Order: sequence, then C-alpha cells, then structure tokens
Amino acid sequence: MGRLVNSLRVRLIGVMLVIITALVPPLYLGVSAIVREGYADRFVNSLRVYSRLVADELETLDEGDFDRRAVALLDSVVLSGQVVFAEISDDSRKLHSSIATPLIQGPLRDDFHFGDQGDQVYFITHTVKRGDHVLVLRLGFDEVPTAEQIAAAERRVLLAMGVFVLASMAVAVWLSWMIARPMVRLQHAAQRVAGGDTQAQLHISSSIREVQELNFHLEHMRRELVGTSERLSREIREREVSEEKRLDLERRLQHRERIATIGTLAGGVAHEFNNIMTPILLYSQLALEEVPADSAVARDLTRVIAAAHRARSLVTRILTFSREVETQQPNVFPLRAPVEEALALLRDIVPANIEIVFTAPQQPLLVRGDASVVHQVVINLCTNAYKAMGRNGGKLGVKLAAVDDPPDGQVAPGCYHLLEVSDTGHGMDKSVLAHIFEPFFTTREVGEGTGLGLAVVHGIVSSMGGAITVRSRPGHGTTFSVYLPATRAQPQTAAAGIGA
Amino acid sequence: MANILVVDDEVDIGEVIRRVLERAGYAVTVTHNASAALGAVARQPPDVVITDVIMPKVHGVELIRILRERFPGIRVIAISGGGSFGPLAYKPDAIKTHAYLAAAREAGAQEILTKPFDLTDLLAAVRRLLPN
Repeated sequence: MGRLVNSLRVRLIGVMLVIITALVPPLYLGVSAIVREGYADRFVNSLRVYSRLVADELETLDEGDFDRRAVALLDSVVLSGQVVFAEISDDSRKLHSSIATPLIQGPLRDDFHFGDQGDQVYFITHTVKRGDHVLVLRLGFDEVPTAEQIAAAERRVLLAMGVFVLASMAVAVWLSWMIARPMVRLQHAAQRVAGGDTQAQLHISSSIREVQELNFHLEHMRRELVGTSERLSREIREREVSEEKRLDLERRLQHRERIATIGTLAGGVAHEFNNIMTPILLYSQLALEEVPADSAVARDLTRVIAAAHRARSLVTRILTFSREVETQQPNVFPLRAPVEEALALLRDIVPANIEIVFTAPQQPLLVRGDASVVHQVVINLCTNAYKAMGRNGGKLGVKLAAVDDPPDGQVAPGCYHLLEVSDTGHGMDKSVLAHIFEPFFTTREVGEGTGLGLAVVHGIVSSMGGAITVRSRPGHGTTFSVYLPATRAQPQTAAAGIGA
Repeated sequence: MANILVVDDEVDIGEVIRRVLERAGYAVTVTHNASAALGAVARQPPDVVITDVIMPKVHGVELIRILRERFPGIRVIAISGGGSFGPLAYKPDAIKTHAYLAAAREAGAQEILTKPFDLTDLLAAVRRLLPN
C-alpha cells in the first residue's frame, strides 16, 4: 500500500483528485445559483409586465356590466396558461375567475418570492383605480414550469460538472502518465544497466527538461561506469594472460631443467659405461675369431656383439640428446640438402600407403651447423610421423620455408628457417604432448621405441640455437615445426652433405 | 715388426687392446699412466702410441703434446669414451670428453677412436698409420 502511495503516478492523480473535489462543489453551487436567479428574474419580470397589462385592461373596462366583463377577463387570463389564481377585490366584494379557483388547494398567502412557501404559486398584487374607488388585482402564477426549467438546467450543470470531473480525471491520469513514463523508462533502463547489461543506452525521448537532464546525467554516469568496468576487466584479463605466460614460462623452464639434468646424468654415466663396454666388445670380437664361424659359440658371441652395438648406439643417442657427442665443425649448408637425403632414405622405409609430400622454396635456406644432425632430425621426426599413421596410411608432409616472425615466446626474434614435418596420424593428447621431448618417454610398445628420438631432436635443435614446437590433435595428426636460425653466409664447402 | 705402446688407466682396456694387436702381429707394450708411458718411450720409442685421453694425473692430451715435441715421428691414436668425467661428472659444468678428443686432435693425434670401438676399427686405424 505504502509502495503504491509513494509512486509518482498515484501521487499525481491523488493531488488532482483533491483539487477537483475541493473545486467542484462550490463551482456547482455558484453556477446553479446563477442559473436559478436568472430563471427567477425572468419569470418575475415577465409576470410583472403581464399583470400590469391585465391591470391596465381592468382600468379601461366599461362600467356597464363590469362584474361580468371582469370575470371574463380573469377567465381569459387564466386560460392564457400561466395564471392559476386571479382575483379582483375591493372593500365590499371579491371577484374570482370562474375556472381558476379550484386549481389552488389550501390557504393562499401573499408570496412575493419565487420558490417560497412551497405552494408553487407566485402572487402579484396591483391596485386598479376605477373612478373614485380602488380595486385590488391579485394574480397567482404557476411556478412549476419555471421550477422544472430550473431543475433541468441544474441537471445540465450537474452533467457538465460530471463531464468536467471525468475529463479532469482523465487529464490527471494522462498527465501523471506523461510525467511518470520517462521516469519509469529511465528506471527500467537503469535497472538493466544495474543487472549487468551495461550496453543498454539510457535514451528517453521526453520534452520535459528535468527528465532530459536527468537522462543526460544518468547516461553520462553509465558511460563512466562502463568505461571503468571495461578498464577493470581488461586489466584483470591482462593479469590473467601474464600469469598464464609466467606459468607457461615456468613450465618450460622446469622442462628444460629436467631435460638438462637427465642429460647431465647420462653424460656422467656414459663415460663409465663406454669404458666398460670397450673390453666387452673387443673380447667378444676376439673370441669370435678364435672359434669356428658356424659354431654355437660363434652365434652366441655374435649376439653379444650385436647387443654391445645396440648399447653403444643407445649411449650415442643419449649423448646426442645431451649435446655431448663430438659433432663436426659447424659450417653453413642449405637446409634442403640433408632433408632430401633423409627423404631419399625414408622413401625406402615408409609404407607405400603413406604419401610423402615435400615442399621447399626455390632459394636456398642456409643454416649453420652440422648437416648430419639435421639429417638425423628429419629421420627421427619422419619415423615418428609414419609410425603415427600406422596401417591406415595417410600423408607425410615435409615443408621448408623462411619465416621472419617465429611464434612468440618460443625463440628469440629474428629470421629463421622452418622445417615442418606433419602427419595425418592418430595425434596426441595434452598429457602425452607434455612429455614427448623427455628422454625415455615413449608411447610405443616395450621394445619398439627407445623414447629417445624426440629427445635427440630437441637436443640437436637446441644446440643449433633453434627451437621446436608441436601442434597435435587426437585423431587429426601432428605437426612438428623446427625453427633453425637463418644465416646469410655462403656454404663453405661442397661437402656439406652426409657422411663427409 | 712395428712397436705399439698402449696407455690406458683401465687395465681391462689396455689388456684387450694388447690381445687384439698382438694377434694382428704387432709388438705391444701396455702402460697405465702417462709417466710410465714416457718412461717406456724413452727406453724404446714405439711406432704408434694408442692413448686414452682421460687419465689421472697427466692426461692424454698432455702426453700427446710431449710426444709431439720430443718424438715427432711417433704417430698417435687418441681413444676415449663419450660423456663427462672427473669429480663433476654428474654436474652440468662437467668436463666433456669430446672437448678432450678435439684437443687431442689439435695436439697432434692422427686418429680418434671413440669407445667402445670395434676390433676392426682399431686395426683399421693402426693400419692407416702403419701402411707397410
């Protein structure tokens, strides 16, 4: 209830109602008084004129047979319709109209006020001089028609008042609505803004200046708010992004540290291991020469030697990954050379249902390093690629390109040559992707993979000052991107290829 | 018959190299450190010295330098396993053998063999240095 009363509309209507109810009764009373007096005056004035005429007529009546003529005059007066009582009297007698008297009931009193006495008759008295004696003419006029006219007029006034009140009410409602509507719309708009729809503009078309100003200031306030909130959310977003970057950097650092630690450990072990492997290998080979070639001992020794060779190549790979093998003197060579040599080798190994697509630009992409390790990189990446496609086959893409803008955060800014190896194989999920460059991490069956291929690639690429990134989606294949620093120097020797 | 001096602090390695080379018809002396090797060279200069580069006290590279200086006619084969060694072998700044092998080549070693090498590799290296 209080809520209703406090509403602007209800208050406006209430005020209008109070004004109307205070205004209407006196207005009505005033108007009806004027109407009543107007009618009464006209009634009285016309009666005075009429009765004067009758009195004049009486004065001029012939003397002979006066009484009969007077009664006839009174009768004609009564018959005229307005007069209900007509009487002529002097000291000795009274003459009445022969038809009017019965119309009057009850005692007749002199009544010189319209509407008084409740007898609905208005009396006028005139003195008529005839010769030496004086007659008194008394006429009683019917008030009823005039009273009826007055009542009808009052009803019309009342009706007009009613119409006025209704119209005023309508105007009050309309006005209150006109005034309150922009406010209500502003309120709704402000509610929308408060509810989170900060783009909801506060635009209310109103001709009321105060509303316009209110609207203007509210809209101004809204824009300020929107600006502030956008700035705040931008800052929060930026902070989140920088936090993400920091975490990413931290992860990469940890990853690098882990790999470095494993590499260092492997390096330490490798020296001892190689020393131990040397007599095993040499004694086995010596012993093999001592026994007949087709003997069981020879066969066993061959197996020992083969195992020793595998052990040796494992250590070599570990050291490659930890960048501790002796590489050739770095020189400048076109990236295409070792890649094509590796692809020539791979074409013999890769199943026929896998299509190898090699694309490279015309100009030579020169890099500095050991061409044989790039060869190794291509072999390792492509081996993983075709194994990921398995029996279903697919497309093995090898692409070379010059890139001026390597992906942010992976390598230092500068010019790089891209070696990209992509497959359409099973892809990897995030949990696998997180570990692929770690040594001894493999998803293949035990005995199928050493878990060193990508670790070696990582080691080689890092030692060349480059970087490697991987994109993969389970079921959609994998793409490895190797970025090697571009160099402008010309190749030093033609023997930049493999096996030099 | 050509004389070959083998220097390796690992007894097993020195012995197996002796076995291989003697079987191939070479006269072989084995020592286990640089000073003993220098003593052996002084007594009887060999045609070829096969030396480990990583040994306690005087390492192989130093030995090669001394041999270069005093006995320029002696040919040298440097051998070593890959990886790291020394008291910091398991630390990131450990000494890397490939640095030593590179130094050995610079000091004058004609052949480099990385352990573990095959018997045929060893004989091939020796034969390259002793063509007759």
